[in-house]
Amino acid sequence: MSAVVVPQDREDRESPSNAQVMLSEDPRDVGWVTQNIPCQTACPAGTNVPAYIRAIAEGRHGEAYEINRSANVLPGVLGRICSRPCESACRHGWPGNGEPVGICNLKRSAADLKSAGHRITERLYAPTGKRIAIVGAGPAGVAAAHDLSVLGHDVTLFEREQYFGGMLRYGIPEFRLPRDILDFEMHNALRLGVELRRGQSVGKGPDEVRVADLLKDHDAVLLAAGCMAPLPLPLKVRGDAQESVDGCPDVEHGLPFLMGLHRGERKTVRRRVAVVGAGFTALDCARVATRLGAQEVTIHIRTAEEYIPVTKEEIFEAKREGIRIKGLRTPVGIVLDREGRLTGVEFVQNRLGGWRKDGRRQAIPIEGSEFVEPCETLLVAIGQKTVNDFLDIRIELDQWQNVRIGEDGMTSARGLFACGDFVTGPTTVVEAIGRGRQSAQKIDAWLMGKPRRKRVVQIVPVQEPLRERAFDFIGRQHMPTAPLHDRMGKNELEVELGMNTEQTVQEARRCYLCNLHYQIDVDRCIYCRACIEVAPRNCIKLVQGVEVRSDGTYGSLKEAREWNQVGAIWIDNNECIRCGACFRACPVNCISISCNEFVEVDTA
Amino acid sequence: MSATRHHVIIGTGVAGNQAARTLRQREPAARISLLTLSALPFYNRYDLPRVFRGVHDWREFLVDPPSYYEERRIGLRRCTRVVNVDAKRKVVVLDHNEELRYDTLLVASGGRAYLPEELSEYQPLLDGFGSFEQAMAMRRKLPEGGSVAILGGDMIGLDLARTLIDTGHRVILAAGKQTFWPHVETPEQRRELLQVLERMGIEVIESDEEGGIASIRAGARGFATRRVVFGNGRECTADVLLPSFGLVPSVEFMLGSGVGIERGLLVSPSLRTTDESILAAGDVCQIWSGEEKRYRFYYGWKNVRAMGDLAARNLTGDDETFEPAQDETLHVEGGATIHSPFWEYA
Repeated sequence: MSAVVVPQDREDRESPSNAQVMLSEDPRDVGWVTQNIPCQTACPAGTNVPAYIRAIAEGRHGEAYEINRSANVLPGVLGRICSRPCESACRHGWPGNGEPVGICNLKRSAADLKSAGHRITERLYAPTGKRIAIVGAGPAGVAAAHDLSVLGHDVTLFEREQYFGGMLRYGIPEFRLPRDILDFEMHNALRLGVELRRGQSVGKGPDEVRVADLLKDHDAVLLAAGCMAPLPLPLKVRGDAQESVDGCPDVEHGLPFLMGLHRGERKTVRRRVAVVGAGFTALDCARVATRLGAQEVTIHIRTAEEYIPVTKEEIFEAKREGIRIKGLRTPVGIVLDREGRLTGVEFVQNRLGGWRKDGRRQAIPIEGSEFVEPCETLLVAIGQKTVNDFLDIRIELDQWQNVRIGEDGMTSARGLFACGDFVTGPTTVVEAIGRGRQSAQKIDAWLMGKPRRKRVVQIVPVQEPLRERAFDFIGRQHMPTAPLHDRMGKNELEVELGMNTEQTVQEARRCYLCNLHYQIDVDRCIYCRACIEVAPRNCIKLVQGVEVRSDGTYGSLKEAREWNQVGAIWIDNNECIRCGACFRACPVNCISISCNEFVEVDTA
Repeated sequence: MSATRHHVIIGTGVAGNQAARTLRQREPAARISLLTLSALPFYNRYDLPRVFRGVHDWREFLVDPPSYYEERRIGLRRCTRVVNVDAKRKVVVLDHNEELRYDTLLVASGGRAYLPEELSEYQPLLDGFGSFEQAMAMRRKLPEGGSVAILGGDMIGLDLARTLIDTGHRVILAAGKQTFWPHVETPEQRRELLQVLERMGIEVIESDEEGGIASIRAGARGFATRRVVFGNGRECTADVLLPSFGLVPSVEFMLGSGVGIERGLLVSPSLRTTDESILAAGDVCQIWSGEEKRYRFYYGWKNVRAMGDLAARNLTGDDETFEPAQDETLHVEGGATIHSPFWEYA
């Protein structure tokens, strides 16, 4: 192991006796953390999930909040609306292990349960004198602005809407994300001197600021304008009317519907509402429609409920509110009456195909299977695309007409960077935050001539198992929600109420703490098999050898079938649920535990 | 065809048991494993209302004696929960981490009672009637001449209602969209059917007309143990509440397998999933109907048995398509009796 040894200097955690903290860049250590902490690897912002869950389990909610904030900037926001890629990857949800840990709910608990006098921790860098303009105060822009201001740069944020937040404020309903939480965390993110110019468009118009001028006045410019234009859905018009789809007052795109509502416009829907689309926007439209008084709301999707990219909890709450989801159908037309009002949507029946490159399931329309579902309002929420016609300078675009950026995060124009959904097309809030932060690092490296921060593996010895076997039998704690009869007509009433302290601690105990690395010292092992006898899973193996891949991760284990083939006794960390049974059973104390996790340090 | 193939069947309902029977006839030497979550071998769930007629011995419900499985060398594994199917490795993973390899897999896990999401928070106050154990628990809870409120309806619940009325109990039906599930009725038929139910002695409350079910409460001491509060404030009380909203396919363990799922497992008319080694039969599968151009469920004992038989034949070399084995319409006779093919079992 190639490592530098430094004395432990963390003030906020009790030190293990005689412990030393090691920082390592060895590919095997990096590979171990990448492979063995699936939640952190899956998080686009790289949140150190086991660390903050352990802090919660020990009642250190403020520290848990800070661990979150150091990675994802807006824990209270994400704790409510994150798409939860971490939970899909959670080892506790792997076959045979039960349900994943409620990581997102715990993130919210850290924000909710921290003390009222909680102090935010920022490790500030000295002022650099560099000026940076950021276009767009959505999640990517705000995350970048936060990091760049921490790094000592002067940041100005340009936002065309009257309030910051982008999709968070204008795309997500208040019953999922209360605006006081959004305002609080956004202010925290921007309070290190970021200048916010609200209501200031960037573009080519007379009252707009031009990108070329921003480049002249700043050392770097970051485009984080998001992805706010709805994708068109080609629909044929059936029936007696001569109207086009665009002329029908009962058909609206989902995102402009939500944005209008959140700008304060009065929105109405008729009795039966059909929503087409399979993402969070579609679900939000449907849930808003029920609150606006629709009596029958149905979401129509091309594949099936199991394959749509929204959380099970969101689907469950939508269904509780009476929303129905119908699968295997693609909209092909609308039916209008003589007055041009909507009376139905024509669909074609689908069958499931294979899997697309993006991991989504294919839907294949079946010829001649058209049918009509009656409805009076149609909300189309099939996705968004970026708009870059506001740019007054010519830069390279990719095949989807998104801005092309290089490895350094820069566009083809010197000093002009881009990030978030503006580059990738529509993703999720946590992805946008992750990309905003990555972009900030790249801008800083470009401005300062070198990267000033890097990620290494911190290895801390742990004296004893931090979990009990009994924790493996705790069921997933469910988020309390507002009574159904209170929700209708109240768009601002938050549905999820947050877990109490007891629920939070119980849920936190379920985490396997995958950052704990159990190892057997082969030289001291007497091969008594006591650890194998007590192991709850097939996690300790007698092996001939272990494959180490080129990226440092461990590959397959070559298990020994005969005693004379045994080269080592090995803890299969893929199977290990960190219960500590082997550690307690070992008669010669040859099993050690360390906490291995990524930390960011300054470059030399 | 190899004589040592291992056929694994998940579920010992009508479809699974029939499939095992046919498989054994067609492949005398093959290894057959029948996995069930139940503690009992195959018994007739349609027969469960008999617990209210004094039949309390589980042996009375068994379709085949326990020795049947041994004699036919069918490996019956009771109390076995499947948690995952790895179609690439052809492995069924059980919840105690055992992996069971298969050559062919038939999923016949059936359906379980659907509880609408808006009622899920009241689950502790509700009873079930999907298994022998649940039926016995309900019988123990229900006093002589006591009352049962059936929420929703469905033909399983209504079948039980007939028996409860016969045995001197009071039955209240909070009727809703699923009252005659799986039948689909017109508004006119519905009115007539509800009138027949009232003539049978069932007290019918149209749930939607009362503002829907707003909440469910535990009753006060000395009174009926359950209280249903409707949106308009009306209340009804009962000793037992039975949600009956149709079935939802039990497919959770198949989610990681890669086969197509909408509500149930999507299968071709020959009951094949998108994985050539996996077939499905019974209430768990949605079968492609070329005529209707949609995937649809076929319910009823005769249909399910036909599916089990067909799946076994198609697993052993045939390639036939499913033909419904029973009528799906609901009839009223003489204004006083309902005839449903769903109730026709033997």
